[in-house]
Amino acid sequence: MLNRLWAVRPTLLRNGALGLVFGVVAAIALQVIDPFNPFLVYQLSSVMYFAIAAAGLTVLTGLNGQLSLGHGALMGIGAYTTAVVLKSHTDLNPGWVMMASTLVTAVASIIVGAAAARLRGPYLAGATLGMAIGLPGVAVRFSNVFGGDAGTTVPSLTPPDALSTIAPEVWLAWVGLIPAVITFVLLTNLVRTRYGRDFRAVREDEVASALYGIRVARTQVLAFVLSGACAGLAGSLLAYTSNLAAPGSFPLTLSLLLLAAIVIGGLGTLPGAVWGALVIVFVPDWIGSLNDAVHLPSAVRDQLPLALFGAVFVVAMLAFPHGINGGLVRLWRLRSRRRRSSVSEEAVGSV
Amino acid sequence: MSYFFVLTLTGIAAGMIYAALALALVLIWRATRIVNFAQGAMAMATTYVALAVIQATGNYWFGFIAALAAGLIMGAIAERGIVRWVENGPPLNAVILTLGLLLILEAVVPMIWGAQIRSFPAPFSIASMEVGGTFIALSPFNVFTIAVVLLVMVALLVLFRFTGLGLSMRASAFAPEIARLLGVRVGRLLTFGWGIASVAGALAGLLVAPTLLLYPNNMDAILVYGFTAAVLGGLDSPIGALVGGLSMGLALSFIGGYLGPDLETAGALVILIAILMVRPHGLFMRTAERRV
Amino acid sequence: MVMLEVDGLSVSYGGVAALDGVSLHIPNNGITAVLGPNGAGKSTLLRAIAGLVRPRAGRVLYGGRLLTGMAPEEIVRAGVSLVPEGGGIIRELTVEENLRLAHLWRRDRDDLRKALSEVMELFPPLAARRHLPANSLSGGERQMLAVGRALMSRAELLLLDEPSLGLAPKLVSLIMRTVRDLRGERGLSVLLVEQNARSALSIADEALLLSSGRTVASRRAGELAHEEELWHAYLGY
Repeated sequence: MLNRLWAVRPTLLRNGALGLVFGVVAAIALQVIDPFNPFLVYQLSSVMYFAIAAAGLTVLTGLNGQLSLGHGALMGIGAYTTAVVLKSHTDLNPGWVMMASTLVTAVASIIVGAAAARLRGPYLAGATLGMAIGLPGVAVRFSNVFGGDAGTTVPSLTPPDALSTIAPEVWLAWVGLIPAVITFVLLTNLVRTRYGRDFRAVREDEVASALYGIRVARTQVLAFVLSGACAGLAGSLLAYTSNLAAPGSFPLTLSLLLLAAIVIGGLGTLPGAVWGALVIVFVPDWIGSLNDAVHLPSAVRDQLPLALFGAVFVVAMLAFPHGINGGLVRLWRLRSRRRRSSVSEEAVGSV
Repeated sequence: MSYFFVLTLTGIAAGMIYAALALALVLIWRATRIVNFAQGAMAMATTYVALAVIQATGNYWFGFIAALAAGLIMGAIAERGIVRWVENGPPLNAVILTLGLLLILEAVVPMIWGAQIRSFPAPFSIASMEVGGTFIALSPFNVFTIAVVLLVMVALLVLFRFTGLGLSMRASAFAPEIARLLGVRVGRLLTFGWGIASVAGALAGLLVAPTLLLYPNNMDAILVYGFTAAVLGGLDSPIGALVGGLSMGLALSFIGGYLGPDLETAGALVILIAILMVRPHGLFMRTAERRV
Repeated sequence: MVMLEVDGLSVSYGGVAALDGVSLHIPNNGITAVLGPNGAGKSTLLRAIAGLVRPRAGRVLYGGRLLTGMAPEEIVRAGVSLVPEGGGIIRELTVEENLRLAHLWRRDRDDLRKALSEVMELFPPLAARRHLPANSLSGGERQMLAVGRALMSRAELLLLDEPSLGLAPKLVSLIMRTVRDLRGERGLSVLLVEQNARSALSIADEALLLSSGRTVASRRAGELAHEEELWHAYLGY
C-alpha cells in the first residue's frame, strides 16, 4: 500500500498528505504522552527546532556542499528577532512572530550567503566559524537593544482561552510541530525540483554546472537563504522554548552540534536531520541518567556525558561514514539483495 | 609609551601564539587535507601534562619538554589510530571526528585533573621591561615567546627545504600516490607530520597558559583565532600562518583597545571576510583555480 | 630465468572487470610490449603490478617474490618502478628534487650523487633545468624526467605506461632508443605499455595483445608485426 501512495502525483500533494498524516499522528502522541512529564515535552520541542535547523543545514551542506560552522549564530538572529518583537508587541500571535524571525534571518542570510558564495571548503568554514563566534558579541555590545550578557526574556507561550485545557508545555510542542511539518514538507518537495537538482549539481562540479547554464553564485546564495530561514525559524522556537534570547545560548558548540546532527543522522537526507536532532537531544540525556544508575566519582560523573558524546561522534564517523540514515539504507539494501540472492558485486552507493 | 605602541607590542606577542597554533593547523592541512579542530584541546591537554611534570620535578623546562614530547606522541597516535580512517572520505566526516576528539579531550582532562582554573608558570618574568628609563610594554616572557616561535618556524623551514625528510614530506603532501611510486613511505610521514604539528600546538598552549590560565576550555578561543589566522594566510602556507597570526594578534589588540573588548571577535571576523572577499584562498594562495 | 611472472591477474573497478585472468612473464633483461585498444586494461595491468590497485584474483611474482598485497612503496624497494602515464611529475618540486626524491629510500648519499650525475649525463636537458620547477619542462623533457626518476631508484624492472603519449615522433624514437639502450647497458627488464604499437614493437622482444581485459595474443614481437588480421582487429590500422 505504501508503494501505491508513493506513486501519487503531484509530489507536493503527496508530501503534503504525508505531512498531514505525520502531524496528526504526532499530535495524538503528544496528547497521549504523560502530560505530567513536562521535561519530555520540552525535549520534544527541542527536537523539533533542532530538526528544523538541521533540515536547513542539510540542504546547504549535504545537498549544496557548503560547509557552515555558523548556523548557531543564525538561530541567534531568529531568537533575538522574536525577543525584540515580543518586547513591544507582547500578545502577538506566535505565527506572525515566527514568520518575522524567519524573514529577518533570511534577509541576513542573503548577505552572508553572498559573501560565502565566493569561498570554498575550509575558507568557508573559517568565515562561518568567525560568524559563530563574532555575532553573539554584537548582542553584548549593543546591550540597550539586546539586553547585553543577560539577554532578553521571552514571555511563555500560553494557549488561547478557547484551548485552555492544554498544558502550556504541550501547547508549546504543538506550536513547534506545525512549522516543523511545514518546513519538512516544503523542503522535501524542493529537493525534487529543479532547485534541488541545481544544488546537487553545483556540489558535484561547479565548472560543469556553470557550463550547463546553472547560475552558480545564485544557487549558492539561495541555498544559504533557505538554510538561514530554517535556522531563523528554529531560533524563534528556541526562544519560546527557553524563554530567553541571550548570547550564551548560541555558543560555537551549538553550530557544531547542528553539524554533528546532520552528519550523524545521514548527510544530505532530510530524514537524517530528524535522526540527528533526536540524537543530539536525547543521547546526552541518556548518558546523564546512566550516570545516576552507576556510582562514579564526581569529577568523572560530571564529565562523562561530554566524553561519551565525543566518543559517539568518533565511533559514528568510523563505523557509519554515511550516518545513521546511510547505515539504515545499506541495511535495507543488504536485506533485499539477500532476498534476490544474486551474485552481483558490492555496489553500495553514497546516500 | 603611547597607547598605540603598547597595543602593537602586546598584539605582536599574542600574534606569535596564534601563529604557532595556525602553524599546527597548516601542517596538518598540508599533510592530510584535514582541519584538526581538536588541535586547541590537544594543546590544552599537553599543557596539563607540563604542569604535572613541573609540579613533580620543580623544574619548568622538564615540563616544557614533556609537553612537546606529549604533543608529538598525541599527534602521531591521533593520526595513525583514528584520523587515518577518515582521511580519504568526505571531508565533513573528518570535521566531526576531530570535533569528537575535542569533546573527549575537554572531558577526560578534568576527569583526571579537575575543572578548576589553575595558574601556570612562565619561565621568565611577565613584567614589562625597562629600557633606558622608560617601560616598554614587552616582558622578558614576551620576548621569549616571539623568539621561540620564530625559532620553530626557522627550524621547520630548514627541515622542509634542505633535508631529505622534508622533501619526502612535501612530496607526500603534494602528490601522495606518486610519492609512493618513488618509494616514499607516505603513511609514516603523515603520522610524523601530525606529530610535529602537535608539537607546534603544544608550544602555543605552553606560551598562552601563563596569561590565559589553565582550564579545560582555555584553548577554544585560541583555536578560533589560530584557525582564522591560518585561513587568512592560506591553509597550505607556513609563512602564511606566521603572517596571519601576527595580523590577528595586531587586529585583535587594536580592536579591543580602541573599540572595546566585546567587539574583538566581531572585528576580526570583518577583517577575515574582507580579506577573503579579495583573495578567497588566503593571502598566500598556491593552488590555482579552474575558472569558467 | 623469469624475472616477472603475472599469473591469472584479475582486477575490478566496482563491478566492472578491467582485467580478467591475464598472465605473462618477462625474462631477465627482456622488453615486453603490452598493446591493445583503449580500455583494454593495459594501464590497469601496470598499476596492479606496481601495487596501486588490489587485484581480485591472481598474483604477481618478481624474482620469485610475491608482490601482490605489498604496498607500492615496498614494491619499489623490491626493484620494480612504475613510470605512470604522463610521467607523474611532481610540479611543485624542482627537477633535481624530483630526481632526489626517487633515491631517498636508499639512504646512500654517495650513490645519490653518482646516480644524479648519471641521469644528468643521459638527459642533458634535465641538467640544464636542474633547479627549475618541474612544470616548466616540455612534454618530452617530462618523460625524460620520469624515466630519469625510475633510474634513480636503481630499479631492475621498469614499468612504462605510454611513454610516447603526446610526444612528437622524433622524441618518441628518442625515448624508445633510450629504453633499448638502458636495457643493454644496465641489464634492465622492461614492461612497456603503448598505444603506438609500431614504435613499441621496434624495441620489444615479446608482445602481449590485450582487449577488454583479456589476453588475445602472445607472440614474439617480430611475429606480431606481420599478423595483419590482429592489427586490423585490435590495433585499428
